[in-house]
Amino acid sequence: MSTVSGQETVSIGTGAAPLPRARAVGALRAWLRLLGSEVGLTLRRPRNIAMLAVLALVPVLIGVALRTFGGPDETDGGPSVFGQVTGNGLFLTFAALSILVQLLLPVAVAVVAGDSVAGEAGLGTLRYLLAAPAGRTRLLGVKYANAVVFCLAAVAAVALSSLLAGVLLFPAGPITLLSGGTIPLLDGVLRIGVVVLYVTAGMAALAAVALAFSTMTEAAVGAIASTVGLVVVVQVLGVIPQLSVFQPYLLTHWWNGFDGVLRDPMATGEMGQGLLVFAAYIAVFGSIAWARFTGKDITC
Amino acid sequence: MSEQTRRGRAVRWGVPIATVALVAGAIGAGPVIAAVQGDPVLPERTAAQLLADAVRATESGVKPMSGTVMQTASLGLPGLPEVAGMGGTSPAALLAGSHELKVWYGGEDRFRFALPGRMSETDLIVNGDQAWLWESETNKATRIKGAGQAGQDHDRAMPMATTPQQVADEALKRADAGTAVSVSNTEKVAGRPAYQLVLTPRDGSSLVKEVKLALDGETFVPLRVQVYAKSAAEPAFEIGFTSVTFTPPAPDNFTFTPPAGAKVEEKTLADLGSRPEGGQERAEALKGGLTTVGEGWTTVAVLPFSTQDLKGPAQRQGDRPGGQDAAVVTDALLKSARQVSGAWGSGKVIQTKLVSALLTDDGRLLVGAVTPEKLTEAAGRR
Repeated sequence: MSTVSGQETVSIGTGAAPLPRARAVGALRAWLRLLGSEVGLTLRRPRNIAMLAVLALVPVLIGVALRTFGGPDETDGGPSVFGQVTGNGLFLTFAALSILVQLLLPVAVAVVAGDSVAGEAGLGTLRYLLAAPAGRTRLLGVKYANAVVFCLAAVAAVALSSLLAGVLLFPAGPITLLSGGTIPLLDGVLRIGVVVLYVTAGMAALAAVALAFSTMTEAAVGAIASTVGLVVVVQVLGVIPQLSVFQPYLLTHWWNGFDGVLRDPMATGEMGQGLLVFAAYIAVFGSIAWARFTGKDITC
Repeated sequence: MSEQTRRGRAVRWGVPIATVALVAGAIGAGPVIAAVQGDPVLPERTAAQLLADAVRATESGVKPMSGTVMQTASLGLPGLPEVAGMGGTSPAALLAGSHELKVWYGGEDRFRFALPGRMSETDLIVNGDQAWLWESETNKATRIKGAGQAGQDHDRAMPMATTPQQVADEALKRADAGTAVSVSNTEKVAGRPAYQLVLTPRDGSSLVKEVKLALDGETFVPLRVQVYAKSAAEPAFEIGFTSVTFTPPAPDNFTFTPPAGAKVEEKTLADLGSRPEGGQERAEALKGGLTTVGEGWTTVAVLPFSTQDLKGPAQRQGDRPGGQDAAVVTDALLKSARQVSGAWGSGKVIQTKLVSALLTDDGRLLVGAVTPEKLTEAAGRR
């Protein structure tokens, strides 16, 4: 994949720099260039574009369905957020994100992050990437940062398409919060931005898990499948009432904990805890990926 | 593989192991830090002094504050089913598990309670003579008339979701000759040093082991109430602040304007309290037939009742919010009942951690925080 550009930048980064400061700046620039080429490759890949397109399509489908058939009656006992969509298009973003964050977004993230190292190993391109000395930690950093950028792209695709669909299909205006208060439209869009960042952080934590799996195998499918399988298993565990003690430690439990932004005053407590959990997952699985990747014999 | 690479690999794997240890440490750090800091020590006070201080503090008006209240109930209700769509706001939902309640208290007639659920919220906002009940689930705002002057009635109307103050008052009223009272000055609740009043029933047939009431060391505001049952080490019922600040909350917390598109209803307190279809008369009749046996912790209430009575109103309430849940809970309770009989007759016993109930076949309901044996004994005493 990124073999040619990767080698190029690595040699620039390590070769020319007499002063330590200049060397650090140069290394950072080289790292960013490597990341840039990696992100470019990821976002140009037809498979990834297709996934982003599917993610962006779902909110439109939800919006069209709600527009055509009307919101759920309150007697149905369905989630009230769907009823609110018909009143204000901006709620489509919250509805779409809270659905997609359960499975479709994690699958997309698992595909990209799980493929990142294992895919290169499987194709035999990894050893070219590793030809440069002391490049493994940096390469892993680039792979992870690339996965995080894809997380942001995927979440932003969902948010933007649902914003667009919501505004086109439903009346938009000041948002009624869950607490009954009303905030101006622009404020509402800002709060959607907060949600996008929070969900991205949650997906970044999953990307760390997928990356750790990815360093352990040469079959990308194995890493992707085990990540997705893990997500499903953990979600099943999360709804068993007898295991509710473990819920706060499960990654999936925190993914849709963003409803605090719709309260007045904004309830940041749950999101703060969620971010701590995400950070813990990133630290643990990131370090596992590092230990495995830097100590691995790469022969193919 | 050379010796050196092997050693390098071992060192590398030390990093994730250290990270796991660090995370585990961070999770477990709370109790450790608390232990290192030691218990806070407040000036010693006797129970009487403490209560006097508390009453004085209450009389001079509770300071404005805001905080988060956590209510946890593990009453040991037998086989309580998961009611479909049972949100955090349903009364039946409060009987099991943990629930969070946000409180903003600006003064006696200015307060707001918020009960957050997943993508929903129920709010009670009282500001002077304005009182609103907002339910986001149904997009409904209810204006409650006459709330300002009838604050007392209001307290009684919501026995479950109230502030620790109100629960504490109730607990204090019960303290009498049948109770051993002790005070500790080393508690810590919501990060604040607190006094703890421990009330222990002297009567052995009570199901309550002890009631613990924590009062803030500075303001004497009740911060936590815990009710311990004899059968469990964890509290069967607990309501207390998990965080609290004694600063006046922002004024916008007490203003409420129904949002555009919401259903707005007007109700008086009497409407909210009464049940439709002659429920009022039924309640009156029940009150008339109520007698009590025993006193203090082991009081047993005796009511004329039959299973049809229990099912009737619950089913009729089906269309009201929470009515369906009530019916389901009733069914679950009746299914778990145990048949008993004795010289007094026969009936069904339902036992939970804190409360036992006996439905006799001759149409009486005996309820009390006592062992079933005590109930049957009371049933024999006509």
